[in-house]
Amino acid sequence: MASVSDFNSPHNITWCPGCGDFGILVALKGAFAKLGLSPHNVVVVSGIGCGGKIPHFIRTYGFEGIHGRALPAATGIHLANHELTVVAIGGDGDGCGIGLGHFMHAMRRNLDITYIIQDNEIYGLTVGQASPTTKKGVITKSTPHGTPEDPINPPLVALAAGATFVARGFSGDIPHLTDLIAKGIAHRGVAFIDVFQPCVTWRKDLPYELYQKKIYKLEEVGHDPSDWQAAVKRAIETERWPIGIFYQVQKPIYTDQIPFIKDKPLVKHDISNIDISKYLEEFM
Amino acid sequence: MPMSQVNKVNCKIGGPAGSGVATMGALFAKCLQQCGLYVVGTNDYPSLIKGGHNTYKIRAAPFPITAIVGQYDLLLALDKLTVQLHASELSEGGAIIYDSNKIKDAAAIAARSDIHLVGMPLTQMAAAAGGEIMFNSVALGAAMGLMQMDFDIIRTMMQKIWARKGQKVVDANIAAALAGHQASKSALQQQFKVKIEFIKRPKTVFMNGNEASVAGAIKAGCKFVAEYPMSPSSSILHLMAGHEWDYGIIVKQTEDEIAAANMICGAAFAGVRAMTATSGGGFSLMVEALGLMGISETPCVIFESQRCGPSTGLPTYTEQADLQFVLHASQGEFPRVVIAPGDPLECFVEAINAFNIAEMVQTPVIVLLDKFLSETSLTLENLQSIPVKIIRGKLQSDEEMQKASSFKRYQFTPDGISPRCIPGQQNGLHVCSSYEHDETGYTSEAPDMRVAMINKRAKKLEAIPQELIAPSFHGAGENEADVLAVCWGSTKMPMLEALKLLAEEGKKVRAMHIRYASPFPSKAVAGALSSFKKSIIFEGNSEAQMRSLIFEKTGHFIQKAYLRYDGRPFKPEEIASAIKREFYG
Ligand SMILES: Cc1ncc(C[n+]2csc(CCOP(=O)(O)OP(=O)(O)O)c2C)c(N)n1
Ligand SMILES: [Mg+2]
Repeated sequence: MASVSDFNSPHNITWCPGCGDFGILVALKGAFAKLGLSPHNVVVVSGIGCGGKIPHFIRTYGFEGIHGRALPAATGIHLANHELTVVAIGGDGDGCGIGLGHFMHAMRRNLDITYIIQDNEIYGLTVGQASPTTKKGVITKSTPHGTPEDPINPPLVALAAGATFVARGFSGDIPHLTDLIAKGIAHRGVAFIDVFQPCVTWRKDLPYELYQKKIYKLEEVGHDPSDWQAAVKRAIETERWPIGIFYQVQKPIYTDQIPFIKDKPLVKHDISNIDISKYLEEFM
Repeated sequence: MPMSQVNKVNCKIGGPAGSGVATMGALFAKCLQQCGLYVVGTNDYPSLIKGGHNTYKIRAAPFPITAIVGQYDLLLALDKLTVQLHASELSEGGAIIYDSNKIKDAAAIAARSDIHLVGMPLTQMAAAAGGEIMFNSVALGAAMGLMQMDFDIIRTMMQKIWARKGQKVVDANIAAALAGHQASKSALQQQFKVKIEFIKRPKTVFMNGNEASVAGAIKAGCKFVAEYPMSPSSSILHLMAGHEWDYGIIVKQTEDEIAAANMICGAAFAGVRAMTATSGGGFSLMVEALGLMGISETPCVIFESQRCGPSTGLPTYTEQADLQFVLHASQGEFPRVVIAPGDPLECFVEAINAFNIAEMVQTPVIVLLDKFLSETSLTLENLQSIPVKIIRGKLQSDEEMQKASSFKRYQFTPDGISPRCIPGQQNGLHVCSSYEHDETGYTSEAPDMRVAMINKRAKKLEAIPQELIAPSFHGAGENEADVLAVCWGSTKMPMLEALKLLAEEGKKVRAMHIRYASPFPSKAVAGALSSFKKSIIFEGNSEAQMRSLIFEKTGHFIQKAYLRYDGRPFKPEEIASAIKREFYG
């Protein structure tokens, strides 16, 4: 069985010292180890951004696609081989800006994959513009007079889109986040985890201490994760910031509806000599 | 009375959108094919009137044919407008079948004394058989009766095609067709000039470009289709979805074309043969992912059926104006394969080649169709006897990977093609990345690595055999021909018929049909052009895009270009007269 160190990549990590992405990386590796996964059966799929570099920093198969498109790629990988563990991960810009459409559709499909947003409320890689999750009024390079729009609320989007597992974690609480990610991966169906990820370079106004002050754990206040409406109420809280599982429900997953991959994943199907006579018959 | 015409006929069916013109047309065509004939069937939407007038054109002959030539012998008018618009296109001794209750003044509208007006109370007869909407079945039965076709042919065909709709529907339509068939016997004083006689031949299929592309894709082992609907590619989605369970193919209608392209890239990375299909607008959205497929060396197949652009353009009309677009789409430089099949048979063959080449050279392959090819059906013989090999290139087996050590996904090799493994296999962990990378897949911005990787990828296309990409030649022999007529993609179909017309007049014309735009068969094309003093190119665009490509790749500039960009396909007669005007005038 694999241990955390089996998921250690040989490459130097290029994130800023103190970046919240480190905590997410440690938690992700911890979750894989906790679930006893083998590196070759895991694919980490990302888009582009600071957070998007994560496939290189973890020893599994990786797919570092284009900005905002981690989820379609992850969907293709999962449907091609649903025996793999597929984790899509990317920034708040990646998932809620350019890729918002895919985010909603991936949630409603209830694919058995996990999607993590590294939510630092900023475009990190492109050196500090407002992101769709940046709260109204925040001054960034692209919004010198303050962001004029209300932010997107990722857990609320996931709940609205029909996700069957919706959670939020904090990169400063690695044991809690590890557990959340492990539960998300173990969940049969799509799991969405929004992760508070302090950006120490471009969001100095959002330091670890502020998150620590504001957050509380849902499991400590008797929240019932089977109650969708209660989940919505928690998701829209602004004064205090809940972390933990907002919502979890069991529903048939996308691949349950595909009879021909019950016994073996698509990639294992023999294609050496396909008989097309049935198809041709229709055109005779 | 005009000479009797055995087993050769041109028919046109016209009617308002929704009157089953295309369905009836395809049914009619298949009945003719059942008689052992070769058939061409294509739909058309005349531009002279606004909204909703559809036609389906059929030609049948006892020898292979690829386009409609000449006047029509039979017009099935499902409304008055059809008589108005198309009566003048009939040959002498031709016939119009129409509803005599609805069109009382057919003779006045048609204004021709040299054709037969076969009026019948189509709707009334249909009502007697079970429902007015089957008036088109009555007309079809009458058409077949006029040509003395055995009723069993239509009976069997209706049974087969509409079995899904239930026996009641089938029986009612058969009854309607029978009424038309019987009535046609007394409709004319003399016999109709066209007679269809049954010829016994092995079974053939009747397929358009999209249907044949799907046949090829299924045969090639395509297992994953992600597509967003867009005319004229949507029937590929429908056909694939319809056969999802028969052939174990996951067919995903996506939220947009961006998702479709990225999904197939993911699926291909995970080891299945994957494709998408779209038209120019959707392809525009796929362009960024195309580059991802290129730099990550992921084998994907994209069918792009061109329609008139730019933007929404003329959605249901044909054009060949996306050639330079698909050749250059996406930032940066990377190898891509662009194949433009010329007819449905080539769609079948090239679809299979596309999947093989994609995996052989680990790069995206674009199959460039157009509306005309996507929706023109021809009789195809012996598809099953075409030898098919599934070539997966350097994809490693599980056993090979179990033994692998220090595996490098992007290893430098003499042909530029690296061994490929897929997630789930041991000893092959790597990142499939949109960033420039080193041999392991890890991001690298080092200048020498950058150059080495660009060169490595560019080299891969050389692995594609020249025989595979060679243009095809038709018509007069190399040494006897006076003129070389060049075309590409779907223009092959009218070109082949034009060659026959020219040969009948003793004009020795040779045609070169280019299928592969990338890699380009430079040597073969240059060789052909240098052995002809007279050449002309026919293209369905205004900029002569293939002429530019030929010039770029060979240095030969074809002086004369005959271009059509009104949304309509070339007609054989038009090609023949253009050649005569230019070179035999
Ligand atoms: C199509 C496209 N547009 C723009 C960019 C430039 N770009 C790269 S990352 C990024 C945003 C990054 O923000 P986020 O997704 O929140 O990730 P972070 O860097 O904060 O982790 C942008 C705009 C791109 N790579 N591709
Ligand atoms: Mg961000």
